[in-house]
Amino acid sequence: MALLIKLAGGHIYDPTQNRQGEPGDLFIRDGLITSAPGTDAKFDQVYDLSGHIVMAGAVDIHTHIAGGNVNTARLLLPEQHRNHVARRLRTALDRATLPGSIDTDGEPVDHPFSNAKWSTTDTGYRYARMGYTTVVEPAMLPINALDVHLQMADIPILDTAALAILGNDDLLLRLMRAKASQSQINDYVAWTLHATRALGLKVINAGGANAFKSNARHFALDDIVPDYGVSSRQILQTLQTAVCQLGVPHPVHVHCNNLGIPGNVDTIVATMEAAQGLPMHLAHVQFYAYGNEGAKGFSSAAAQLLEAFNRHPNITMDVGQVLFGQTVTISGDVIAQYSRHADASPGKWVMWDAECEGSGGVVPYRYREASFVNTLQWAIGLELFLLAEAPERLFFTTDHPNGAPFTAYPELIRLLMDADYRQAYMARLNQEALAMTLLPNLKREFTLTEIATMTRSAAANLLGLHDRGHLAPGAIADIAVYDPQGCGVSIQMPDPFANRAKPDYRAMFADAALVFKNGRLMVRDGEVIARPAGHAQTIQPALDQRIERDIQNHFDRFYSLKLNNFKIEDVDISRDDHQRFQRVGLL
Amino acid sequence: MSALTFTLKQPTDQRIDMSPLVCQKLQGMDVDAISAIELQNGKSRRRVDELFYITGMNTQEIIIAYSNNKLDFIGKELDGGSISVQGDAGAYLGMQMKSGTINVSGDTGLYAACEMKNGLLQIDGDAGDFLGGALPGNKQGMKGGTVLVKGNVGQRAGDHMRRGQILIEGNAGDYCGSRMLAGTIAVMGTTGRYLGYAMRRGTLLLWNQPQLSATFNDCGSHTLAFLPILFASFKSLNSRFSDNNAAFNRVQRYGGDMAETGRGEVLVRI
Repeated sequence: MALLIKLAGGHIYDPTQNRQGEPGDLFIRDGLITSAPGTDAKFDQVYDLSGHIVMAGAVDIHTHIAGGNVNTARLLLPEQHRNHVARRLRTALDRATLPGSIDTDGEPVDHPFSNAKWSTTDTGYRYARMGYTTVVEPAMLPINALDVHLQMADIPILDTAALAILGNDDLLLRLMRAKASQSQINDYVAWTLHATRALGLKVINAGGANAFKSNARHFALDDIVPDYGVSSRQILQTLQTAVCQLGVPHPVHVHCNNLGIPGNVDTIVATMEAAQGLPMHLAHVQFYAYGNEGAKGFSSAAAQLLEAFNRHPNITMDVGQVLFGQTVTISGDVIAQYSRHADASPGKWVMWDAECEGSGGVVPYRYREASFVNTLQWAIGLELFLLAEAPERLFFTTDHPNGAPFTAYPELIRLLMDADYRQAYMARLNQEALAMTLLPNLKREFTLTEIATMTRSAAANLLGLHDRGHLAPGAIADIAVYDPQGCGVSIQMPDPFANRAKPDYRAMFADAALVFKNGRLMVRDGEVIARPAGHAQTIQPALDQRIERDIQNHFDRFYSLKLNNFKIEDVDISRDDHQRFQRVGLL
Repeated sequence: MSALTFTLKQPTDQRIDMSPLVCQKLQGMDVDAISAIELQNGKSRRRVDELFYITGMNTQEIIIAYSNNKLDFIGKELDGGSISVQGDAGAYLGMQMKSGTINVSGDTGLYAACEMKNGLLQIDGDAGDFLGGALPGNKQGMKGGTVLVKGNVGQRAGDHMRRGQILIEGNAGDYCGSRMLAGTIAVMGTTGRYLGYAMRRGTLLLWNQPQLSATFNDCGSHTLAFLPILFASFKSLNSRFSDNNAAFNRVQRYGGDMAETGRGEVLVRI
């Protein structure tokens, strides 16, 4: 029997259909959005959403939620978990804890694994409460693919996907050194996407992690990887071409060279030029919008970056906004991570090398409001958002957890949507840094339509996930409903803006009033009420299977792992593969 | 005034968190108030008088009788006063204690004197692993005070230790003094493998020749004038360390761990 649900009278924001807040009805049948069923239809459920804001479920294109680095960071920082438990115990002592009551984190105390900080459950619940329904892990080292998929399968509610990393792996560089044909490399890329059940391809500082092993501590776009004789540019262009020729919808997802180094805006502009006019996604560009001017040799180059961005319509970017507070940086860019290990706070860090494939590092870090550098980073990210002319090509991320944990998204939305709040916030930051940016003079405020574009329609489009990110009939019924009055369970801070006409967008986006996943209600008034398993989105481009012979030989010679254990084939993640993995169409 | 005595009514299946029952937290409370304190016992919370018979008044002198190895966090953050444990103690005995004394007549579990700051902790039986260590993920273990163990200790004694002294009359397990930053560990009995693994500074004072890693260098035999002063400081202890014939000043000195900064030392009596 078909289940028919009506969402009545909400203000609908859906850039795909050019709906900008006009009140209207939505209908859900069997987990899909459907057109109006006619006047004599009988609804199983009706929700009155008058005064509420309705959007598609949000899509996060770049968030490190699973994998080797994430687990290493968890192991490095057990005190986070201990402090979380201690906080909960204090709360429990302070008042009688009743089922369904809320602790100081705004977390229901009785949900499964609620005593585990930063668990997969925590990830799923906190994303769902904000109205997110699809998230993408952008850095899956192929050798960690099984770990990534097991962790993602353990994240409740959300649909997930992962991007496989190539570009520092021995086999690719060997193929390129041996002047292998592009079609041979296409086969290797396609085979990797199949074997790791990925949605796309990620390139991290191409060749850099390999050069690091030969003691390179800087690696620019035209530097040559020792022993292999190929440049970073050649690797990047070869992989970009492969992704295009294979028809993978998501463009090659690039973490550029020289991350975090003053003056690196030249690097990212050169990378745009190197993109040959073909699609390319540049990740967390805030970390590349750095000039080397001023007394401290560190300045904002946001305007310069955006000028180049406007000249290159083939390029998409996500921001990687920095927000203040404690976090932990995790990256496969071992050169960048090693260069800042001395800044670790608390003072402990991990650098690692994975067999034949790449390396990375985990460095805990606290972004401080009083810091010149951190304030400048914060301001540069906001400059990028506010000065960009094409929000449909610029995406909303904090590079979780590198710029800030994803739980800070509501705060970031408020900074973008509320110029007065932004102005007031700047008062407590490093004024010397702010004076070097355009930010204090920027009055732009994002509209709900622009937020919906960045976090919904454009994001889903960029990934090739055409069944979501919008509310047109036929889309899966991933829907987030927000109450401008704030319905949530988060503890409201004393706030001079509390009595204004403009909603507190932070409170609004922190706790959705309702969240549907595949037409099923997951969150009500900021509380998770169901936790079904999600699906992993994958891509399966065609390839010449003969490449596996070469890969088999390489594995037998150099890996400790057997090729059959490397491929994700018969993985027992408590559901059959066809229930866990969903195939996304090629271009 | 007689000592405030908690006598365990019967052994529990689940562990008990004893951290509320320390001298400074009980000061000024009457028996009714103390009886009503709730202790975490496994997943449930139980009143003190459900678990213990309570006698005596003096909150600055606490006795825990019929104690066993399920009583965790005894003397946590103790700040003055004394706690005497009759029987065994569980994990985290005297964790982060600031001052005062703790005495255990039996054995203790993992992480005794974990991140201890000052005071005196005496264990008449054996101690478990990570004596005077740091909590996992933390970078500094014991930061001051004295730990005296009359029996043997487990592995990783003094892991990440920063200051203070650990005196062991019996034997020490593997990795004694591992990742030590500073401080003194004295062992009258034998020591296990990987002594002083990755130690940066600090002193391991041994009565018996250890099995040393290749990253420790023999620095020759020495007569050290500070040793008699060190032994003199043990005089007030009820221990073999205070015997007149325990003291010596002639040692073989080894420097290490050279895989770290290498400024630690192992002194072996000759």
